[in-house]
Amino acid sequence: MKKQLKVLVIIPCYNEQANILNTVAALRAAAEALPFTVDPLVVNDCSTDASAALLRQNGIPFLDLPVNLGIGGAVQSGYRYAVANGYDITVQLDGDGQHDPDFLGTVLRPVAAGELDLCIGSRFLEKKGFQTSFMRRVGIRFLSGCIRLLCGERVLDVTSGFRAANAAVTEFFAVHYATDYPEPEAVLAAVLAGFRVGEAPVEMRERQGGVSSIGKFKSAYYMIKVTLSLVISRLSMRRLRRK
Amino acid sequence: MSVRLQVYMLLGALALLVLIFILLKRGMMAVKYSLLWLGLSVALVIAAACPRILYMLSAVLSIEMPVNLVFLLMFCYVLAVLLSLSIAICQLAEKCRRLTQANALLEKRLRELEEHSAER
Repeated sequence: MKKQLKVLVIIPCYNEQANILNTVAALRAAAEALPFTVDPLVVNDCSTDASAALLRQNGIPFLDLPVNLGIGGAVQSGYRYAVANGYDITVQLDGDGQHDPDFLGTVLRPVAAGELDLCIGSRFLEKKGFQTSFMRRVGIRFLSGCIRLLCGERVLDVTSGFRAANAAVTEFFAVHYATDYPEPEAVLAAVLAGFRVGEAPVEMRERQGGVSSIGKFKSAYYMIKVTLSLVISRLSMRRLRRK
Repeated sequence: MSVRLQVYMLLGALALLVLIFILLKRGMMAVKYSLLWLGLSVALVIAAACPRILYMLSAVLSIEMPVNLVFLLMFCYVLAVLLSLSIAICQLAEKCRRLTQANALLEKRLRELEEHSAER
């Protein structure tokens, strides 16, 4: 019998007491149908609500960060956990209910089949489900253009935090991962490191509760910061071609 | 420059030098970070003891008033200190992040070990 692939699903969680249990339950239900061993791992980024207590009571495996690191640092601890425990594939799934775990298989399949090293769940490939606000779509298209310009790879949904990484990319992310708003930078870094990066169509939902990490006033700061860090990481990384 | 002003300047510069040595001795400042400050206080002592250097330097740079040269140098110096602090903070934040992550991984292992031994 073929050995089942071990999959770790990292779910970053900051004050998500309203969503986190539903997300994990939906993930476990979705994982039943897949031919992989799927382990959820919630990363509690020093939540100030009852998230940690809920996770403990319900026996959900979680990492408890003693200080708030932000999404980048939180997700990276998940990648480190995956490396330390020998997982074959690491998936990232937001804990706020925006990502539908039913699409876990869709995002996993290209990586499990060895077609891609990093597969991003994209809401724009088939334009189904929640498409986010017009302004955000403009911003995402701009960042997507930046990444295409900087490395030649066409990735539509660069801000999507729904992604599957194979063991090599997991090891790479465990060492190199941006801190503040890491999603677009991680895509660029993976392409520049010579990994095969692609997308799979998923549907996203409007967040089910809680508050988004990026408010209106932060949007301008977000765009400037991310654009600058994309340019800087392009300048600081030489492209390594993996054959 | 009057002799009295020169004496005050010299005393001030020496006070800074002594203060930094006291901080170093008490372990309140690492040698690594003290070098910039020691350099500054030595430069101040020299400038106060021998202000001719400043007059000559401002003539060379064609700065009309020597005091403006002093302001310029101080400003550049403060910028250098701020920059070095930003670099130090960045390195500390990176170390802090690594430690937090390592701690979280250990905490999970410990928690599971405790649950495991409680079951037995």
